[in-house]
Amino acid sequence: MEQFFQQLLNGLAVGGIYALVALGYTMVYGVLKLINFAHGDLFTIGAYLGLTLLVSGGLAGSLPPVLAVLLVFFMVGLLVALIGCALERVAYRPLRKAGRLSAVVSALGASIFFQNAVMLVYGARPYVYPNSLRPDFTIELFGYALPGMRVMVIAATVALMLALWAFIQKTRMGAAVRAVAIDQGAARLMGINVNRIISLVFLIGPGLGGMAGLLVGMYYGKIDFTMGWTYGLKAFTAAILGGIGNIPGAMLGGLLLGVVEALAASYVAFAWKDAVAFCVLILILIIRPTGILGERTADKL
Amino acid sequence: MNKWARSLAVAAMALLLPAYVQSADIKLGLMCPLTGKWASEGQDMKNIVELLVEKANASGGINGNKIELVVEDDAGDPRTAALAAQKLASAEVVAVIGTYGSAVTEASQNILDESGIVQIGTGSTSVRLTEKGLPLFFRTCPRDDAQGKAAADVIRKGGFKRVALLHDNSSYSKGLAEESRELLEKAGVQIVYYDALTPGEQDYTAILTKLKSASPDLLFFTGYYPETGMLLRQKKEMGWNVPMMGGDAANHQDLVKIAGKDAAAGYFFISPPLPQDIDTPEAQQFLKDFKAKFQALPVSVWAVVAGDACKALEAAFAAGKVESEDIAEWLKQQKNLPGLTGSLGFDAKGDRVGEFYRTYKVDGNGTFVLQPR
Repeated sequence: MEQFFQQLLNGLAVGGIYALVALGYTMVYGVLKLINFAHGDLFTIGAYLGLTLLVSGGLAGSLPPVLAVLLVFFMVGLLVALIGCALERVAYRPLRKAGRLSAVVSALGASIFFQNAVMLVYGARPYVYPNSLRPDFTIELFGYALPGMRVMVIAATVALMLALWAFIQKTRMGAAVRAVAIDQGAARLMGINVNRIISLVFLIGPGLGGMAGLLVGMYYGKIDFTMGWTYGLKAFTAAILGGIGNIPGAMLGGLLLGVVEALAASYVAFAWKDAVAFCVLILILIIRPTGILGERTADKL
Repeated sequence: MNKWARSLAVAAMALLLPAYVQSADIKLGLMCPLTGKWASEGQDMKNIVELLVEKANASGGINGNKIELVVEDDAGDPRTAALAAQKLASAEVVAVIGTYGSAVTEASQNILDESGIVQIGTGSTSVRLTEKGLPLFFRTCPRDDAQGKAAADVIRKGGFKRVALLHDNSSYSKGLAEESRELLEKAGVQIVYYDALTPGEQDYTAILTKLKSASPDLLFFTGYYPETGMLLRQKKEMGWNVPMMGGDAANHQDLVKIAGKDAAAGYFFISPPLPQDIDTPEAQQFLKDFKAKFQALPVSVWAVVAGDACKALEAAFAAGKVESEDIAEWLKQQKNLPGLTGSLGFDAKGDRVGEFYRTYKVDGNGTFVLQPR
């Protein structure tokens, strides 16, 4: 039983990261019907920028660690958001009238560009976050000793997801995002500036992805320029699992995928965990072709 | 041709071409990748062998005979290697050192064998090279299955009884894990866990949690250094201090960087030793000469074993063996020649004998320390 809870926690921490990255995929898809393949690489950029700001920016020395980390967390979010916004202007907006296939090819090109840019700037060898910046404590919960960092990753993920959910559901701007997702033409007729909403979506999605990159770097230590690929693939799966275009679906899909993987690793075999996770995906898509929470019929990718 | 006839022939040639015979009594070939993706290893092979030959010639040659070295580039490519082997055969060398890469060596094997030339492979670890029964082929590197044996020996001698084996599904890593499993089970060591992980991921806590429940007394991961580093780090964070070991793919300084010094301390792996870690007079002398000439250390152990091949051939020449059959026969009887990576010897198949693999342990400062046998 102890192992079950341990694995559940392992799965939730991994799944939380998947969910944060999946939010970026699903928001962009919801509004533009575009799979932003460069999203995983924005996540990588977040991890690298975080390291640069913490170490070279000298923030770690001049501020108390908690404050420095918190500040860097938001700075990374902002910087990656700006990169995401620029990406939309350069790579996607000129193609909005063209076919969807052109946009997908452009997204793949952007992904290759970002990955190699990171490699050229930082080099191909892996980087490691300094240990001194990582809070090292354990939390006692129901008699289990939980690594503090793990709990913090889950907490940060949940907080960010709740904030996003509240923004989309409770604010005027959020209502505009939802309106654009449902029907761009009608939204424009209602006086919504569609281009501005799309830019907003490209600020929020990549911003969350960049923060997820920083969380991964802080928690696991090692970062390398190809890390975005694995996380991007898993997060994309999570977005489909929950119903692509649906924000609570991405959260649910991410957490579910993480937990299924951890339990499969524990009770089947580690080598089979991806196979089991994808079998679950196929089963769910057979029963609910639009994903767990997906309502609208998914268009062909 | 009997000895008298040969002496007559040599005498006749000496009359016709006096300068040729005086300048080079023994022709030795070296085949190595001077260009292509393994050029850094190949250039080191050339540097090392040239250094040894120069030294032998400077001290008056071997039994008064000078060695002439003929170098051919194989570009790390099997087709180029076949051409290089033919060129060396037409240059009438008595023996060839090289080359790096099993597939490249394999392309040259038959050509050299048919020409009656002794070949000593260097960085060619594939098992099948010496299983073909070619009488003139040798190698100074270990075979792929030797590492499994060495690992099993280390585990047995360490007194570990419950071993968890983990590989990463690459052919090298899986092969090592399978080889070790078989040998350990024969030796009565219990394999409490056997599985593969997916390389390139960040989170291995799920598999570590599972491993912990199998309560092994040793964790043996046969993969490469990035995953090893992550496993060490996350194992430490779980507060689980089971010893962990690895194979020669873990021999990279980034391992300590990824794991962190605290988590890496106590980790051990098996790997061929570099000359800087061997205190035999031959290794130390070689290192001194190499540093003096090139102001650097050899890049890779796979280049140093080319020096071993040269040492073995020099020893054969010194024993008066200058015909390929004689050299091959003599080498197969040797078990303790002085080499650059420890003692050198060959079995009847031409494989290097002896325990080539050594254990390295990471100390508290993150340095890889060679362990005494």
